[in-house]
Amino acid sequence: MNIGKERRIIEVEPVTSPLPEVLPMPVPEKEPELEPAEPGS
Amino acid sequence: MEARLETGPLVSTEPVMAWRAWMLWYRRRAAEPVLLRPIVGSTRPWPPAEPARATCVRPKLHRAPFPHCTCGLYATRSEELLRRTRNPAVVGTVALWGRVIEHELGYRAEYAYPQRLQLVCYLCFFTWGVHGTHPTVAVQPARGQLTPLCPEHLDLSARYGFPTQRWMPADEVEGALLAAYRVDLLRR
Ligand SMILES: [Zn+2]
Ligand SMILES: [Zn+2]
Repeated sequence: MNIGKERRIIEVEPVTSPLPEVLPMPVPEKEPELEPAEPGS
Repeated sequence: MEARLETGPLVSTEPVMAWRAWMLWYRRRAAEPVLLRPIVGSTRPWPPAEPARATCVRPKLHRAPFPHCTCGLYATRSEELLRRTRNPAVVGTVALWGRVIEHELGYRAEYAYPQRLQLVCYLCFFTWGVHGTHPTVAVQPARGQLTPLCPEHLDLSARYGFPTQRWMPADEVEGALLAAYRVDLLRR
């Protein structure tokens, strides 16, 4: 799907769950380290 | 001039609301027999009761979605743009969160969950949009697939040799879909 050019990055951290009310709020996962570690670091 | 990404990401506490189309995933004996599945890429259904999460084919290299990659869960700003989608069975609104990359016409997101859904006859949807489609049956052209059609396009499909022998009432399929994700109908 063509959605055009990239404009910006938004980091969305919802305060209320975007899931239906009947479902529990998902437990935020701890993000794993994103950048591969440098050898020897 | 070439649009450039801002250096720091914008931070928000409000999920981004957008539009999206899916195909239907169907397994008669599954706990949730009717689910959403992407139209392109993965054939795995979106999980009910938990967010869909983006992955990249290069997951070791970056978190999805990543700038200038194609990864992420796609959604559009307008319903209009979805009309060009190839054979959609379901159209609806989705909440997007986590890392969301905003594009001119849509988004690529890290997490998504459907908000409101409805079955569409893809031929009617292409011409009239989401409020101009009222499918009455969902035919099963092949195992695991369901194609919602209105009476007129069911007729037409049958005449062109599209397999229409196996079918279910569209409202039953739609009901099962809404129940699986605990969401409301988009159609008013
Ligand atoms: Zn990627
Ligand atoms: Zn139709």
